Amino acid sequence: MNKNHSLPYMQRTITRINKLDEAELFILKKRLAIATGVVLTLTAVIILRLWFLQVNKGFEFEERAKVNRVRALRIVAPRGNVLDRKNRLLITTRPSFNVVWTREDTPDPALVIKRLSKILGDDITTILDRIRAGEDIPKYLPLLLKEDIDWRTLVYIENNHLKLPGVRIEVVPAREYLYDNLASHMAGYLGEIDRAELEESRGGEYEGGDRIGKQGLEKIFEKQLRGEKGVLMVEVDARGFEKKQLAKKEPLPGNDIKLTIDADLQVAAEKAMAGRAGAVVATEVDTGRLLVLASSPPLELNEFVGGISRDAWQAMLDDPLHPLPNKAIQGQYPPASIYKMVTALAGLGEGLITPDTVVNCTGSLRLGSRAYRCWKESGHGMVDLTRALAESCDVYFYKIGLELDVDRLAFYAGSLGLGKKTGINLEHEKSGLIPTADWKRRTYREPWQPGETLSIVIGQGFNLTTPLQINVMTATIANGGVIYQPQFIKEIIDPDGKTIRNFPPVRTGEYQDKEANLELIRRGLVAAVNDPLGTGSNARLNEITVAGKTGTAQVVQLSHVEDIEEEMIPYNRRDHAWFTAFAPAEKPEIAVTVLVEHGRHGGSAAAPIAKQVLREYFKLNGDPKDRRQPE
Amino acid sequence: MFRFDRRLLLNFDWTLLVTVVIVAAMGLANLYSATYSSEAGASSYFFRQLYFYLLGSGLILAVISVDYRILLTLNYPIYIITMALLCIALFFGDSVASTQRWIDLGLFRLQPSELAKLALIINLASYYYRKDTGKGFTLRELVAPILLTGLPFTLILMQPDLGTALMLAVIFVSMTLLVKLKARTIISLASSIICLIPIAWLYVLKPYQKRRIFTLFNPELDPHGSGYHIIQSKIAVGSGLMFGKGYLKGTQVHLKFLPERHTDFAFSVWAEEWGFIGSIVLLAFYCFLILLALKIAGSARDKFGVLLCFGIASLLFWQAFINLAMLLGLLPVVGMPLPLFSYGGSSLLTTLLGLGIIFNVGMRRYMTSNP
Repeated sequence: MNKNHSLPYMQRTITRINKLDEAELFILKKRLAIATGVVLTLTAVIILRLWFLQVNKGFEFEERAKVNRVRALRIVAPRGNVLDRKNRLLITTRPSFNVVWTREDTPDPALVIKRLSKILGDDITTILDRIRAGEDIPKYLPLLLKEDIDWRTLVYIENNHLKLPGVRIEVVPAREYLYDNLASHMAGYLGEIDRAELEESRGGEYEGGDRIGKQGLEKIFEKQLRGEKGVLMVEVDARGFEKKQLAKKEPLPGNDIKLTIDADLQVAAEKAMAGRAGAVVATEVDTGRLLVLASSPPLELNEFVGGISRDAWQAMLDDPLHPLPNKAIQGQYPPASIYKMVTALAGLGEGLITPDTVVNCTGSLRLGSRAYRCWKESGHGMVDLTRALAESCDVYFYKIGLELDVDRLAFYAGSLGLGKKTGINLEHEKSGLIPTADWKRRTYREPWQPGETLSIVIGQGFNLTTPLQINVMTATIANGGVIYQPQFIKEIIDPDGKTIRNFPPVRTGEYQDKEANLELIRRGLVAAVNDPLGTGSNARLNEITVAGKTGTAQVVQLSHVEDIEEEMIPYNRRDHAWFTAFAPAEKPEIAVTVLVEHGRHGGSAAAPIAKQVLREYFKLNGDPKDRRQPE
Repeated sequence: MFRFDRRLLLNFDWTLLVTVVIVAAMGLANLYSATYSSEAGASSYFFRQLYFYLLGSGLILAVISVDYRILLTLNYPIYIITMALLCIALFFGDSVASTQRWIDLGLFRLQPSELAKLALIINLASYYYRKDTGKGFTLRELVAPILLTGLPFTLILMQPDLGTALMLAVIFVSMTLLVKLKARTIISLASSIICLIPIAWLYVLKPYQKRRIFTLFNPELDPHGSGYHIIQSKIAVGSGLMFGKGYLKGTQVHLKFLPERHTDFAFSVWAEEWGFIGSIVLLAFYCFLILLALKIAGSARDKFGVLLCFGIASLLFWQAFINLAMLLGLLPVVGMPLPLFSYGGSSLLTTLLGLGIIFNVGMRRYMTSNP
């Protein structure tokens, strides 16, 4: 083959090569030497930089590398339990399972969303809304899709995790209510910690997303219940995925709270109140310990577990029976005829009446131009103190009111604990109102009118009381004059079962007058329940002597519609029904107070509920006469 | 047709080959670690890179079997084909991370911008070789090389791939500085570059690229955005300390804190696992490799060979320097692979082709006449 087949072009090139002269070669070599110098210099720059980063500052970066990869994960402690007085578990903690999704790990999000929609039983739009709400969350962080899924869903997701890339189950503790909504207002609920609460906790016990007590004892005893968080040191990758566990500090469970409440009794009270608005309070008269503290209707506690929805909250606000306030301590109602006990004590104390004073009730009493009517139009005839209390004769008390100074009446009311907070360890307690002449001047810039006293003596007018206050007063009358602070916590118990705090009874005051006068009231209350004409006969029990007083509190003055059929009155204008009682009359143990909002008559609406609570109490605790025999 | 000449084998630079093999072995070992996972073991990246080495070795053999001077006749066809590929990539190519850099060839995706570097070197070398009168280049004579560089530069900038585009400019400047220029030319070129910088800042750089330049000076400004790469790379390198964390034991790598650890940030993996000492060893081999290439350039039999070798040596050197300076936080983050170290078929084949040309020039340094 011809080896000189190359193009003519190539030939010229070869001629050129031979032209490369020594001088030019020298210049090129000089420039290549400069290039070598540049290479060496810049290599030295890199080496110096490496020295600076790896040797000079190396330990600093080593520390930062550690911070990069080691995360301290907080482990939420199991919250303390809530027990009743007989150590029955009312509220505990269970693991709940949330579905979270790390979008970055999902190659085909549309398919996963479609599958999840089927599994969770949610609309695709519901899931998309959740995803949209978490748009700010980086794609490599888990996004909460659904809280508190059930076991079947959990098992299904775990078994099909290969079909659901990026979807995980997260376990978090959640409240479990073993007695449903029992004592819901007292228990309160948890909610996500807000910014203010987060800033307030300087000890760093909390972090964003924590659930914290928002109401009731969950809030008040938050520090006892929350326990101590554990820490899990984990090695994570850049996406925050756990790769290895390095060290673990177990969380410390919270302390248990033992209530003074008797679950059975509370159940009975709430059952009796079902469908009605109002409150039931029952206490041990010798300690002030609460056996029942119920506000009806109850809060739907489970609605709060995963964070309450706007709809559920709005439904509570719109409910005509007003489930949100704790009516036992926040509801303020005119005491009505219940207050006649105070008037009677004032009359006795001020010497206006004696046990033998007899008044002729003709159905009304005239003062000035106005006739003050007794509830019984035909009149009660000749009544003494016992009958006046038993049959709730208004005229008898009007008579006292004609001579009684309103400020003196207020003194006796205060001496029984009315007009001020009882001091129960719950938030938002109301103090009620016991009017005085001074109060009227301050509030209305008007002097006290004698006619107003006549409204006050039968518990209408300006008077306002809470069911809890009435219960405290009843217990005080029953126990011979000692005012106890109502308590609903008996003990705080640490996770080892050791009692770390006891709550002994607290005396907050004493009835300021003769004990004998209290006995006269008690006698009247026994008659009210047990005499044939007594207003409280609906609370009568066969084996136990119950003593009680009814009350019917006017919501609006209905004198001008006197003849209207009761059924025709709209619900929210109907009278409130009161009944307060203690038993056994011979040696009182329990005081029960019932208020039924718009229940019309104390005797017919409230007394039967008190009776059910009392019957349950003696069924649970036995007849006191049998109990005392061994002593 | 082709008669094998013994002298070719005698003049083959075995030292350079051994150096290349050592650096390649380090790169492969490092890639194995960078993409290793305890669950899955070796990754497909490692094997793919290995195949590319085999393919590249074949290419080297092909390249050295023909006298490099054939490139003087092939320079324009090579240029035109490369530009056509760049246009195809830009208008019909696969879009990855909203850039248009790749052409899908079925077996692998070709990145024509890598080939463009080599095409530019060949064309600049042949232009300067042919036009050199020995009196120095005038500005008018530089118009052609500027246009030769400007076309691929613009096409690559449109992808957009600032790193590779800048690399072309750096190659142009390096090679032009090697040939003799008239003093006037140097002055006017330098002043026009100074004028061009503000224009480039205002109209050419994308916002994310400007951000990268800002974060160079203070990466903590944007620790989760554009500063993330620099911060994580510095942490990985710095935490390697004097002796490193040990092979396969780099926490920042294996916990995926280090981004792009198998491509541009491959050296950070090396520095974390082998420490300062290991980094120095690698740098020494690298430096040696470049110096050998420069030495071959200096011993070439003709000026074309000198220019070719020098162009390729500068390509290798500047890529390595910019890559290292970038991941040590000395230069802004631009896409720039570390030759023989970063994963990437197109980049590796380009590097091996370039090395093949250097071997070729070195083998034929004593052949003053047509065999």
